[in-house]
Amino acid sequence: MRVPHLLAAMLILAGMGSAPAHAQDAPARGGTLVVAISADPGHLNPAITTSGATHTAAELLYNGLLGRDERGNPLPELAESWQVEQAGAVYRFRLREGVKWHDGAPFTAADVKFSFEEVLLKYHARTKASMGGSLAAIETPDDRTVVFRFKQPYAPLLFQLDVTEAPIVARHIYQGSDPQANPANANPVGTGPFKLVSYKKGAEIRLVRNPGYFKKGLPHLDEVAMRIIPDAATQVLALENGEVDFLWGVPGPQQSRLSADARFRLAQTAYSPGGSNCIMTVSFNLDRPILKETRVRRALGHATDRQPFLTQVLFGEGKVATAPISSEIPWAHAEGLTMLRFDRAEAERLLEAVGWKREGDGPRVARGVPGVADGTRLAIDFLHFPTFAKYGELIRQQWGTIGVTVTLRPLEPAVFAPTVFKDRNFDTNVISYCQGPDPEIGVRRMYDSSQISAAPFTNAAGFRNAKVDALFDEAARVVERDKRSRIYRQIQEVAVQELPYFWLVETLSTRAWPARCSGFKPWAGLFAESASCKP
Amino acid sequence: MSHRYLLRRLGQAVPAVAAIFLLTFLLIHLAPGDPVVALGGEHGDAAYYAMIRVKFGLDRPLHERLIVYAARVIRGDLGTSFVHGRPVSGIIAERLPATLLLMLTALCLSTLVGCGLGTVAARCAHRPADFFLRSVALLGHAAPPFWLAQVAILGLAVGTGLFPVQGMTDARRNSVGLAHAADVARHLALPALVLAASELALTIRLVRSAMIEALGTDYVRTARAKGLPEMQVTDHALRNALLPVVTLIGGRVGMLCAGAVLVEAVFAWPGVGQLLLASLLSRDFPVLLGIFLLVSVSVVFANLLTDLAYGWLDPRIRYE
Repeated sequence: MRVPHLLAAMLILAGMGSAPAHAQDAPARGGTLVVAISADPGHLNPAITTSGATHTAAELLYNGLLGRDERGNPLPELAESWQVEQAGAVYRFRLREGVKWHDGAPFTAADVKFSFEEVLLKYHARTKASMGGSLAAIETPDDRTVVFRFKQPYAPLLFQLDVTEAPIVARHIYQGSDPQANPANANPVGTGPFKLVSYKKGAEIRLVRNPGYFKKGLPHLDEVAMRIIPDAATQVLALENGEVDFLWGVPGPQQSRLSADARFRLAQTAYSPGGSNCIMTVSFNLDRPILKETRVRRALGHATDRQPFLTQVLFGEGKVATAPISSEIPWAHAEGLTMLRFDRAEAERLLEAVGWKREGDGPRVARGVPGVADGTRLAIDFLHFPTFAKYGELIRQQWGTIGVTVTLRPLEPAVFAPTVFKDRNFDTNVISYCQGPDPEIGVRRMYDSSQISAAPFTNAAGFRNAKVDALFDEAARVVERDKRSRIYRQIQEVAVQELPYFWLVETLSTRAWPARCSGFKPWAGLFAESASCKP
Repeated sequence: MSHRYLLRRLGQAVPAVAAIFLLTFLLIHLAPGDPVVALGGEHGDAAYYAMIRVKFGLDRPLHERLIVYAARVIRGDLGTSFVHGRPVSGIIAERLPATLLLMLTALCLSTLVGCGLGTVAARCAHRPADFFLRSVALLGHAAPPFWLAQVAILGLAVGTGLFPVQGMTDARRNSVGLAHAADVARHLALPALVLAASELALTIRLVRSAMIEALGTDYVRTARAKGLPEMQVTDHALRNALLPVVTLIGGRVGMLCAGAVLVEAVFAWPGVGQLLLASLLSRDFPVLLGIFLLVSVSVVFANLLTDLAYGWLDPRIRYE
């Protein structure tokens, strides 16, 4: 049996099960949960954006057709059951009976059809990019049945129907309006466990229990107050001072302090409302003459010791990547793949073989390197977000030991994206590529040659491989997991061989709450649906 | 003071504000960075990003955007936020009371306490109390606000129960009336203190030196010779020593705005400073321009008010 992944292990350590039913005592009813969030969401409609700020603040107000368990598997939510037909080209969902919107109107299949056709497929970037081209029609034979028909078998659907990927909005509220300008975006009407009470811009979002919630007995809390606290250090201090009860993230240096304090519970998860299952990935610009040569990329890979990234940058909050696809998507992650080992001598040998020679103490110099003028210094730049500065420092130090001069170029996200993807003005960079619940959503964009575009966070390397393109097409059409798993393994083998990227560490985020609270689901958008706090 | 003088000063303010407007517009739009990333997230396709560009007019040439925006501003419309999807004026107005409360409290604190302590230091010049106050003032002026904020939180909030770490009110209490005012005051104390610290230190030093000079003048000596009580003598001297302080207040509005960005971020104070920081990171151009416009107008008018205050403080000053 596969060793349970880190999330499950952490949850067990934290004394939590996958469901609050494991708790010894009956959950306390009532009380206010104060949640620290980092940014003002601007609006509370998660269907028109993939912004982490909006999803973090608003998901408790809504539901998806399906939920997700701690491993990302689909669970009944607004849909109580589903059938996959025609080898994955048709999905038939049976909706729950008696579900009401917060304003008392009944929830029906028409709401689902409207949400997808008029909102999600137009404005939710992930849903639009992944499903938009494949979906043929959504049919509603009756009020409780929704049928998704695809042009060809479409495998990932069940993993992209939770409240993060596809929140369902009310047709009677949004019909005939511009969804991005509808006043309900600031005063939302959902089906979720909580209803909006007030939204003080820049300060606080207040939710109250939805007494008509379709999951009987839930939620336990009377109120949830989302406090906007931009500074991560202040969030931790506010938790310690008893002013807030739930943190979405704890900075590495503060984790040991909180975990050593019996007053708090911590859990790590790869899920995030803004993007799950992220790997810090070095991209090599394959258009650059120096980096076109696979042996140079392999040399840089061999020169990279990834353990310090985990210990010195993440303070243990993650794990060394062992394959291009995250281990948090266990069925697609290639177990036992041979990744480049840290071997500085091999790195030096490869560079010598290519023609990058050591001459004195400075950087290596080209002597007969194909496509590079003799005498050219082995100097490359490395772009990173300012928040990823420590990655840059380690890379500069480690690659410097094999005679590569690295110039760090810290750029804000808004500058980084056009520089890398539009202008392609870089040699190497580091990106936190979030792979989402299915490789079709977050992995394909990195390797598919059609994804070499100005669109941010696509194929940064400029990797072109017809076989890989075909394999991705096939994986999207096949519904059986075993078959998909084999296809993704082939893709990963090619990726590790050709090395358009180098995968450093899988990152996790740490949630924290006081010991008197329990029942959280850190892996889901409805994280506080079953939470409770003793007074 | 004549009305003509006032009108002339107001007339001079218009080109100043217009120049600031033009400069900030160009700086913001010519600086590297693309709001599309912040708006569209990282998983969109090319068509999605293109749609965002068209929707927010980001596909149009810069000069066209400038003309459209300037025409709107002249009509009193600051545009619509990319991120919030609502009118900028409304968004700023929601945050303004919190920032005004913070800034005015800090301004009062630095001015009143600064004048008081500066006077004490002057009256005890070269004695231990003066040395102590000067040392504290030097420290307050030298300490960076973000460091001071962390020290204040760790020393006065966490574990002490005296002050909260963040926010403007207690999230667990829904207080009203006087209880609400007390709650806000408790939350206001630390951010206002941190924001005021640097200016407070400067005021102490300024008032001290001005008072020492004033207390040595002939009219003070005459007043003392006439047997005036020392309180009245100090009052006379202070009024003359206040002129440089008033000048300082005028220039302080801009500094306080800059300080408020940092202090609001650390203390999660829901004001314009926090909005500015968030808008900068997301390249929300309309909100940024709206805030810059507001700040520049405030600074221009603060300087105008400073000039007018001179006449009130010193009747010898006349306006032509």
